[in-house]
Amino acid sequence: MDRRTFLKASGAASLLAPALIREALAAQQQPLVAVAEGKDYPAITRRAINAMGGMKRFVKAGDVVVVKPNMGWDRSAELAANTHPQVVRAVVEECLAAGARKVKVFDYTCNDARRCYVNSGIENALKGMKNVDCKQIEPERFRKVAINGQFLKEWELYDEALTANVYINVPVAKHHGLSRLTLGLKNIMGIMGGNRGYIHRSLDVALADVNAHFKSSLTIIDATRILTAHGPQGGNIADVKVLNKVIASTDVVAADAFATTLFGLKPSDIPVTVAAYKRGLGEMDLARIRVVKA
Amino acid sequence: MKRTPARISQLVFLALFLILFVQTEYRGRDEINAAVNTFFRVDPLVMFSYLLSAKSWTWLLLPAALMTLATLVLGRFFCGWICPLGTVLDLVTSRIRKTTPIRALRGNTKYWLLLPLLSASLFNLNLSGLLDPIAILLRGLTFLLHPLMGLTAREGWVALYRLMGERRDSLAPAYNLIRDNLLPFRDTLYPLALFSAVILLAVIALERFETRNWCRNLCPLGTLLGWLGRFSIFKRTPGGLCADCGACRDLCPTSFEEGHLDKGACVLCLDCQSGCPNGRVAFRPSLDMKGAGPLMPERRVLLGGMAGGLLLAIPTRFRSPEQVSRTLRPPGVRSEDDFLKRCVRCGECMKVCLKSALYPAAYQAGIEGFYTPLVIPRLGYCEYNCTLCGQVCPTGAIPRLPVEIKKREVIGKAVFDKNHCLPFARKIDCIVCEEHCPIPEKAIRSREITVIGLDGISKIVKEPYVLEEICNGCGICEYVCPLETKAGIEVFAVKNRAPISQNPANPPANPYPP
Repeated sequence: MDRRTFLKASGAASLLAPALIREALAAQQQPLVAVAEGKDYPAITRRAINAMGGMKRFVKAGDVVVVKPNMGWDRSAELAANTHPQVVRAVVEECLAAGARKVKVFDYTCNDARRCYVNSGIENALKGMKNVDCKQIEPERFRKVAINGQFLKEWELYDEALTANVYINVPVAKHHGLSRLTLGLKNIMGIMGGNRGYIHRSLDVALADVNAHFKSSLTIIDATRILTAHGPQGGNIADVKVLNKVIASTDVVAADAFATTLFGLKPSDIPVTVAAYKRGLGEMDLARIRVVKA
Repeated sequence: MKRTPARISQLVFLALFLILFVQTEYRGRDEINAAVNTFFRVDPLVMFSYLLSAKSWTWLLLPAALMTLATLVLGRFFCGWICPLGTVLDLVTSRIRKTTPIRALRGNTKYWLLLPLLSASLFNLNLSGLLDPIAILLRGLTFLLHPLMGLTAREGWVALYRLMGERRDSLAPAYNLIRDNLLPFRDTLYPLALFSAVILLAVIALERFETRNWCRNLCPLGTLLGWLGRFSIFKRTPGGLCADCGACRDLCPTSFEEGHLDKGACVLCLDCQSGCPNGRVAFRPSLDMKGAGPLMPERRVLLGGMAGGLLLAIPTRFRSPEQVSRTLRPPGVRSEDDFLKRCVRCGECMKVCLKSALYPAAYQAGIEGFYTPLVIPRLGYCEYNCTLCGQVCPTGAIPRLPVEIKKREVIGKAVFDKNHCLPFARKIDCIVCEEHCPIPEKAIRSREITVIGLDGISKIVKEPYVLEEICNGCGICEYVCPLETKAGIEVFAVKNRAPISQNPANPPANPYPP
């Protein structure tokens, strides 16, 4: 190599280097979505968690963990209105194995709380587990919190979620009359008190507000079976599609974006996802999401 | 209280009553095996008024028929051995100092209560539950005492949270034990709560004048049992007070004011037998009907009582159209008339209602509907998978239905009020009602309509509408409507309550075709 070519090459390299480094960093920052498939629901749940680095990455010894499934409806597990009890149990077991001091499981239900806890199968699946509280919501524990969002300035949130060391969001993937789908971003409503119907008038912005204020450490979407119509509570087995999938990500928007494809939709079809993406809460561009089979 | 067999029996049945009362609540299972309705099902007053008004038979009341037979043979033992209200009176009466008995209550007053009740039943107005002693006790407990207990415990628990915060959790196991086994799950406030308690307290306060004042002078169930009991084969000897003693006058809780034992008033507590200083008293089988008094009350009382029933039955029927349109009955009730003939107004359905949907009617159902259960959807809704009210109704006024059938029973129909409903009135999205509608095919749906927003900008809004054919009127839409002013959707009563079809003629389109 003569001096001229060396200078040319090094000059070009020095010009290109920042871009290359940026590119390389971007690849690192690309959100990861793990998808596990199989008929053994506890096993695929564990595989999805392990693909995200294992529960120890999120839960440290002595932590108080909230596992927040969707169990808002008085529907049995096969109707896909609530998170599958086996998925919830597997997540709880992983938390305990990672050293959690206490795992709390709850949801602010739409139907009668006792019936939802029983009929969803979740209360029974967790029965007898040590250091696990599957507990009813107690209204006095909602606390007014300054959210300073675009639609919601303040709202009541549940103190047990606020004070937990780790919050794991475990929604079920299903259709929703207003937001088209309800996934990770919408599952946050289970820690919201007050007149929740109020936020329906600007649901996507309101959910972005709350999710911007309160973030989950990990989102695990139950797509073992999904509700394709007449959501969010369904009730007809004909609307249920069995997919045998569990999705995990630390990026709730990315998890939602990928889950959207299971319904044959694009992430941009879901206003809640779009609003959260625009707010910088995560990635919705599928091309920029790294999907790994777990 | 002395420890006689009658007293022990009384305490056992009172305990049973209270246990069943607490059991009449959802405790994690869809079925309630033993509810406090058992007490109404052995109640002959409930049975006779049902027979007269419904003019049909239900096997639910077989125990009451057996009780009637037992009373014919043994006498009015129910009042002295079983009745929980009688037991409550016996427990408190020694603490209430007595003045002189009220003369006006003596004599025919009890017939002036019982006869109009029975004859009104004949004219399709079944009011017996209003004065039934078990119903009076149960309503006092259900509408005031139990909620009061629940609220007190709950307020205390909340106060602990304000005091201790998260550390309250260490006490949670103890509180949960009480909450899950003793307290009502919901904090429901009932209309007529104070009134129900005042009636119960008034019955107790009557003890101020003489023992078992309510039982001997007023109680229609006691009067009925007393009349049946006069045919009993047991006869007390001696029939009256002994010349040298007269202790029976003080021992007997219900009779001897005329110097002899009135067979219709004797509750067979046997206190006179065990307390007789001379060991003279005995109850022996005897077919001698002497001393049982006249078979019927005086003719003017009989005729007057019957006429009173007619007078009660007709003028109390008036209801304004506004009342009628919101008279929503529990699920499975298809005809208002049939319901009124059978309802005991005992309050059990309202106690057990999972989502606090049922409340006693004060004025909403007219005078004839006083204390009958009404669904008030703004306060609570009928849970789709729940069948508890039909399970605890003692007379089947609310039919006991399998859940698949109950889901299709029509309470009413939902109607939108476009002046309030947000997508119509303010051109913004909402459809919380559609989300909550439990019908799998969705009786509330929405369509996307391009509208001019109130800001003048054109936009797309989801406008909801009701598919009347498959609406069962459960009321969850009205309950969850987020408007604070007035619900944008309301449930109204309809005459045709034919169950909704299982396969609607208009199957919904799948928004995501495969």
